[in-house]
Amino acid sequence: MSDALTVVVLLLVAGSATATVAQRDPARQALVLSFLGVLLAALFTVFQAPDVGLSQLAVGSVLTPLLIMLSVRKVRRRARSEEGTE
Amino acid sequence: MSRLRLWLLAVGGAGLAALLAAACLELPGFGGSRHPYGDRAVHASLSRHTANTIASVNFDQRAYDTLGEMSILFAAVLGCVVLLREARDEHRARPEPTDVARPVRRYALLVLPVALVTGLYVIAHGQLSPGGGFQGGVVAATALHLLYLGADYHALERVRPLGVYETTDALAVSSYLALGAAGVLAGTAFLANTLLPYGTFNTLSSGGAVPLLNAAVGMEVASAVVVLLAHFLDQAVEIEEEPGRGTP
Amino acid sequence: MAVNGWILAATIELGGGGAAALWGVATGPPARRVIAQNMTTSAVCPALLLLAQGYGRPSYVDLALLLALLGPVGTLVFARLLGDDLAGQQPSAWALTWTAAGLGAAVVLALCVAGSPGRATVKLLVIGALLISGNLVASRALAGGFRGVRGG
Repeated sequence: MSDALTVVVLLLVAGSATATVAQRDPARQALVLSFLGVLLAALFTVFQAPDVGLSQLAVGSVLTPLLIMLSVRKVRRRARSEEGTE
Repeated sequence: MSRLRLWLLAVGGAGLAALLAAACLELPGFGGSRHPYGDRAVHASLSRHTANTIASVNFDQRAYDTLGEMSILFAAVLGCVVLLREARDEHRARPEPTDVARPVRRYALLVLPVALVTGLYVIAHGQLSPGGGFQGGVVAATALHLLYLGADYHALERVRPLGVYETTDALAVSSYLALGAAGVLAGTAFLANTLLPYGTFNTLSSGGAVPLLNAAVGMEVASAVVVLLAHFLDQAVEIEEEPGRGTP
Repeated sequence: MAVNGWILAATIELGGGGAAALWGVATGPPARRVIAQNMTTSAVCPALLLLAQGYGRPSYVDLALLLALLGPVGTLVFARLLGDDLAGQQPSAWALTWTAAGLGAAVVLALCVAGSPGRATVKLLVIGALLISGNLVASRALAGGFRGVRGG
């Protein structure tokens, strides 16, 4: 029974990790990345490593998306202001 | 010269590969219930009255490694602060206030204290249940940023005197070092968990120096994350480049 | 075995909810992706609760607590900072939102009934309240919760 659980979670992590790499746009990549983070936390729980799972949840659910999206906003704003001045 | 370097790299790489292969052959089976290192770590943590073996490994048996990880975070945040400072050809512009829907604003203001308390709970129970300084510190620092998400950046800036967090960050790293040095002064070893009584198993004050080191890491992580996000937010929201300059 | 029923339920929940959310978050227009990202929390958090029960480890409940707290906050980040991509389309899927809320409530109630009343029950109820209210508020935020985000 727990083998089936391990297989399901591993397949989902592999699928979402591949999907993250396959995205072209950083904002969409951040969306898939946050999904991958939550799944990794589930994987660590299944492997009986709740401490690592908690770290992953704490960092992956808000901090990483916020840092990525703030950087995206800065880059887009700069591109827009350059368009405006030219 | 470069050929010599390549040879050196090849010899080192081959040695590492051989050692890794030899180590892999002796690994215990995947998913087994027993592990030689695990048994010893659990035994050591129980003998020092620390219920969460991971906390015992992080802040007692391998406290020196945690010092290294802590300095990595400290140095990384320091680097970000230097890179993201307001340059000479940039200026600050006050962002327009945002119109946030009322349920979202209420939720953010309600969840903020809950998340803050949860962060402190995770730090305080580090030696008893999963979690610890790092996880709790990140949660507590994230909680403050609900003010940005639920209101606007100006509201966050008012409750976030940056200098205080920068000082707390440095103080927390120093207190970890001071706790380690206390062991040397008392005649044992750096970061040896021998100074304080081990306390009653599975209570908040158990584990000797583990809760103190844990709290130092929690303070360091929380203030480091606040400082890091502050500089990212400044750059994304407030700082603008002077038009016509800075772009080659 | 009765114990494994919880793990079986968690497997089904993770497999079904996870696969659907992965498909939603990796394909389609941005509006659909943020909805799927929001649904991830409501799919995985009950599964974490079921795993804690199945493994007989009450301390694993902390993971579900953190996810119920931080998952909706993560969705708020996207709702606020993806404004450009979501302009013009108001992502809302209220049928899905209420289904997910019902699922979370059902799991929390089942676990409350299975355990003996006490502090653990209070914690479970807090997690359930945070999960459902967070899910609803994050959906509301996506469906036009932030207007006029330009500078901030």
